[in-house]
Amino acid sequence: MAEPKIATTKVAGSWPWFLQRVTAVLLVVLLAVHIVIDHFWNMSTLELSVSSIHLRLGQLIWIGVDWSMLAVVLFHGLNGTRTVMFDFDMFIKRKKLVDVGLWILGVAMLVWGIVILVPFING
Amino acid sequence: MKIGDDDLRARTFRWLFGKNSEFWPKNMKTGMWAWIGHRLTGLILVVYVFMHLSFISTASINHDSFNDLMVLTASPLFVFMDFLLVVVVIYHAMNGFRVVLFDMGIGIKKQKQVFWICMAIAAVLVVVGFYALRNNILGDLMGGG
Repeated sequence: MAEPKIATTKVAGSWPWFLQRVTAVLLVVLLAVHIVIDHFWNMSTLELSVSSIHLRLGQLIWIGVDWSMLAVVLFHGLNGTRTVMFDFDMFIKRKKLVDVGLWILGVAMLVWGIVILVPFING
Repeated sequence: MKIGDDDLRARTFRWLFGKNSEFWPKNMKTGMWAWIGHRLTGLILVVYVFMHLSFISTASINHDSFNDLMVLTASPLFVFMDFLLVVVVIYHAMNGFRVVLFDMGIGIKKQKQVFWICMAIAAVLVVVGFYALRNNILGDLMGGG
């Protein structure tokens, strides 16, 4: 296999590399909270429904936890996708388009994440 | 010289499964597999985030749609798929931890051992995950809920 003309790390940049590590550490903490509280806590007795989730999302702190986790997940996931894309020459040549496209997708999903929580917040 | 379709297929098969293949266990390059696994699990998780948000968004249509979907996702098959998701998350997290260790200059010279230690910890976490979900996966089989 021929050596790539440009090293992936140079294309991806050092800030995305650093933030990928920071978000990874944050994710471990937030994911542990999310899984334990949302999925395992009283799992055998608590049926998931709009009203049961409203009991938790009626509190501002849990809206904050869920939404900040979504923001961190989206950054980590889409930044990781960007790194995978830059393994291929065809995306390296369209770096700006990839960056803009992923930012638009990320922001749109973050907004979507707020909108879809509304039924649970209102109950 | 043009390569015939059959010849190309045979060469591709040998490249994938032959004894000189990089994928043959004896020639296995741990770092390469870890790298491929990390990328694959990462992409699976990105797809999962889209699915997760799609499922949640059914509540915006009406509450019953969401509640019905939650009843379906509590079925053993769906919980088993949740368990597979747990396996993917644990692999990605433990291999990510290994990558961070290397970024800090720790364990690079013993990278194969570090990989297998991380995978041993991952295996323990997978067992813990299965234990937590066992009633929901095996509930019907065990005659319980």
